[in-house]
Amino acid sequence: MMELLILLFLSPIVSSVPIAFAWLIDPKPEWARKLPILSVIGLFISLCAAIYILFNVGSFPPSPESEPIRYTIAWLPEFNINFVFIFDYLSRIMGALTAVIAFLIGVYGLEYMRDDYRLGWYWFFFNLFTASMLLVVYSDNLLMFLIGWEGLGLASWALIGHWFRDDDPLSFVGVIDRKVWKLDYFWSPSFGGWRAISTIRVGDMPMFFAIGAIYLLTGTLNISEIDWSSLFHHIGFAGTILLMLAFMMGPFTKSAQLPFSEWLMTAMTGPTTVSALLHSATMVAAGTYMFMRLSWYIEPWEHHIHGVELLYLIVLFVGLISAFYGALVALGCLERKVLLAASTMSSLGLMFASSAASYWVGKIAVLVGFWYLVTHAFAKATLFLVAGHLIHFTHDRFCVGDTEVAKRIKVAFVATIFATLCLSGIPPFTAYWVKSAMDEVMHDLIHHHMTLPLTLLVLTSIVYSAFLAKFLSLNFYKGEKVHLHIHGGRVMGSAYTVMYLMLFLLLWIYLTRHIEPFTHFFEAGFVKSSLMVGLAVTVSYGLAIFKPRIRSPVGAFLGDRMYMPYLNDFIVPKIGWAIAFIVDHCNRGIDFLCHRAVPRMFEIYSIGVRRIQDGRLERYVKIAVGFILLMAVISVVMGW
Amino acid sequence: MILLILLLIPLLVTFLIPFFRPKASTAISTASFLIPMVGILYYLSKFERFEIKLFDVSSPIGEFYIISDPISNAFGFAICIVSAMVALYSLPYMGHRFEEMIKEGEIKDELWEFRKYWFLYQLYTVSMLWLVYSGNLIMLYIFLELSLVASFMLIFKYGYGNRQWVGILYFVWTHIAGVLAIISFLMIAFQNQTAALHGIKTIGFLAWLLVFVGMVVKLPGLGPHIWLPWAHAEAPTPVSALLSPLTVGLAGYILIRIYQIDPSFILTFRNPIVAYGIITSIYAGLSVVKQRDYKRLLAYSTVSQMGYMLIALCLGSAGLIAVVVQYISHAFGKSILFMTAGAIIAIYHGLRNLDRMSGMHEYIPTIANAALIGFMTLSGIMTIGMFAEFYILVGLTEIYKFNLPVIMAVVTVFIISGLYAFYTMRVIYYGRPFGYEKRRFSRLLDVPMFIIGFLSFAFVFPPLARILLSGLKLAFGGV
Repeated sequence: MMELLILLFLSPIVSSVPIAFAWLIDPKPEWARKLPILSVIGLFISLCAAIYILFNVGSFPPSPESEPIRYTIAWLPEFNINFVFIFDYLSRIMGALTAVIAFLIGVYGLEYMRDDYRLGWYWFFFNLFTASMLLVVYSDNLLMFLIGWEGLGLASWALIGHWFRDDDPLSFVGVIDRKVWKLDYFWSPSFGGWRAISTIRVGDMPMFFAIGAIYLLTGTLNISEIDWSSLFHHIGFAGTILLMLAFMMGPFTKSAQLPFSEWLMTAMTGPTTVSALLHSATMVAAGTYMFMRLSWYIEPWEHHIHGVELLYLIVLFVGLISAFYGALVALGCLERKVLLAASTMSSLGLMFASSAASYWVGKIAVLVGFWYLVTHAFAKATLFLVAGHLIHFTHDRFCVGDTEVAKRIKVAFVATIFATLCLSGIPPFTAYWVKSAMDEVMHDLIHHHMTLPLTLLVLTSIVYSAFLAKFLSLNFYKGEKVHLHIHGGRVMGSAYTVMYLMLFLLLWIYLTRHIEPFTHFFEAGFVKSSLMVGLAVTVSYGLAIFKPRIRSPVGAFLGDRMYMPYLNDFIVPKIGWAIAFIVDHCNRGIDFLCHRAVPRMFEIYSIGVRRIQDGRLERYVKIAVGFILLMAVISVVMGW
Repeated sequence: MILLILLLIPLLVTFLIPFFRPKASTAISTASFLIPMVGILYYLSKFERFEIKLFDVSSPIGEFYIISDPISNAFGFAICIVSAMVALYSLPYMGHRFEEMIKEGEIKDELWEFRKYWFLYQLYTVSMLWLVYSGNLIMLYIFLELSLVASFMLIFKYGYGNRQWVGILYFVWTHIAGVLAIISFLMIAFQNQTAALHGIKTIGFLAWLLVFVGMVVKLPGLGPHIWLPWAHAEAPTPVSALLSPLTVGLAGYILIRIYQIDPSFILTFRNPIVAYGIITSIYAGLSVVKQRDYKRLLAYSTVSQMGYMLIALCLGSAGLIAVVVQYISHAFGKSILFMTAGAIIAIYHGLRNLDRMSGMHEYIPTIANAALIGFMTLSGIMTIGMFAEFYILVGLTEIYKFNLPVIMAVVTVFIISGLYAFYTMRVIYYGRPFGYEKRRFSRLLDVPMFIIGFLSFAFVFPPLARILLSGLKLAFGGV
């Protein structure tokens, strides 16, 4: 087991050390341009280990009901904190998913990043990213999980700001030099990285507090061993809300839910491979995955604790509202990658919502959310890789391209068609079955007097399919004519072809394997209301193909992300700088007082005292007489 | 006994080192700290506590002895490794500094200045090392004073800007701390008829108050903090890289030792002290972003990190563990960062103004990466700083339960550390390159940082994490 874990976590990192060193030591290491292959081999070894775990650690096929297998390595035994790896339904599948996607994107990156100026940095952090995510996936111990979690944040900072020189207009987000009411409405890579890590920091620290508090209250940090229900009973309603909301701040910021969504949009300043990895199986998925894992072991559907109910209600609505917001933004957005980023935010919202519904519906809701994550991961990675391919060939970040592009880059065209069909929920493609099950879950909430979730879900699904169709249409059909610079692209094409073929593998699994939860998906797909939603989604897809643009102020409003950047770039920083200004002036004041005013006073006093000592008798007599007179006056006044 | 010999090595070297040439002195100085470091690591892994008696002095001073327990060893380890690495770094840096001073006509002979420098450097670091092993308050004070005088001399002779003024400023402020401490120590000694730590039974309120106020001046807390940016910014960088990571934090060590004898003062005034620590930390954290001088910026960050120590001191046994871990984590992180600032000064001839830095990653990638490790350590990302934050949070829950304002304040403190860390990364190392040219520089300017950085990561994992934290748990009990 130990060997397996070493292969899983260390091989990506160790294999990228040579290239990192090459770039660190040699300023122009042309000789090292072959080394990325080594890094990808590291990812491949890690993939093999993850696949081995999927098939051989525990029963296969994995069952949601099976007992988790744990493996412990001593870390701080005196504190009852150890490296605890857990292999259960969620982690085995999620681990394999992460490794597959990271490997395929790695292969794609071999060609995409070939001529980059900072390969050492790129590959080191790319592989660190993967390893951190695997650590998050397989860890049962919250402190060990936090190492991976922070690793994700760090690697995302490093990769989003990869093109730190801010000299390539292709790496910006937004129209360069555009201003909207006092605010620069474009973002550079170095800014994107800073914003990512600063937003994440705001969520991570409350989460860290929650971890510390859980440790103190329960004496253990292993998610699967904590007695959650007695913990919640012990700390009461307000305590539960405080603790769990603090904890959920981490997943909310990491998964870019409202109002922390902006960093995800400006994260598009990174290389496309990074966006693809960030948006499919790592980073943002880590937030939802963590919530699923918690729900898996809290089992809120078993205990019905009042505080937990309120928490799940909050998560449900944060998720749904973010999902709807993200879908609308994507509808208005014209930048390839930002459009996809907004759509990811939307999907993450749906995952949160679905998992949160588990409080009322049961474990199946978590499973639906989880399989939606898996489906989404492959489809979104494909779309991002296609977007990267197109940016490479068109030298344009915005959605441009007509049928000429479709003809010349067939592989990308086909991939986009299949990925959008599979993701939007058009029957009978992959996401349809999961989305149907999600409809069922939200439908069940009506029994608990909540009709809004289902409404929001259906609306989101319709908008979602519309903007996916728009992405297809504006890049391959109705977009502006564009000059193509075609060179190579074979490795990139094959990487995402394999990626979307995985979607068909998933479809096959959903339809043919008669095990939970797929039987449930299968049944849900034939319910009348699901078919109705499927039909509506298909219609909106078809409409958007032919009319992809919203040419009105509404479209601009949506495309400008409903002016959310004002919160992040204007209101919050202004407040921060105002306080910093006050603090700075206080510092100057104290400095003046201690280092100028007080010494100066002593100086004046000293000069004064020395001046009267001039050795003339007359002056001393005057002082003595003056002193006596003063004493006399004082004694008269005091009445002695 | 072996420990005593190990500690005597750097002390003897202090008096021999002026007789060697610069390169040899560098090697000797580094070795004289690395050898005790290995020994200290061995004692750290033993988890045991013992004393080595030196000699008796008549009452009320009492026995002088060396105390070795996980606390001393943890502090001693940090001092040894940072001193050794900064010694390596001193060679190219001070070479550059002396050249500059010769050009300005302030000194004449580089070799002669190196001899003086090495003596003062060694005296300074060795007195800090002995301070944490002192078993007697008077002995502790002697080494405190020695370290202050040696560092004052270094600032006064080799500092930047208006260095005589800054040197005197530093001297006056630290002696306010020193005088308050010695008055307090004498009061304790007379009350107990001994100043040996194992003989002290009670500490009066006034004595506690004086030592606390003294240490707050030295630490420093909000208000007295104003001396620190001057001293740390104008000192020659190797001295900054010792002052800020090692010296100021020793105030925390002294408070821990007093706390272990009698925690009454801290327990009585817990809420005001925590509030003061939080305000100090947030205030200084926000000051950081307004600084335009790299070294001043780092100095304010030190004040912010010392706020952590004040907070942690009030949070029970978990908090005490956090004080020690915070000291080590800050020592690692801040020594790396000061060395990066110094490296930029040495490579680009006195460049320290943030307005003239941008995209520096382009020119000095190794130093930029080291700075990243330094800031990760300060903000507790994947490094030993993580444990400091963890134990502060555990202690916080233990003492304050779910007291929302306190939790939010401490969480804000941690958030601000991360924000200014990566804000600085962006301003200095990212963005459009400023238009310098790439220069070759001595490997001694960057390799020492990576060695400290490696340790900073290594302390997250066993076996180092275990020997440190388990030992501290034994020393403080509880959790």
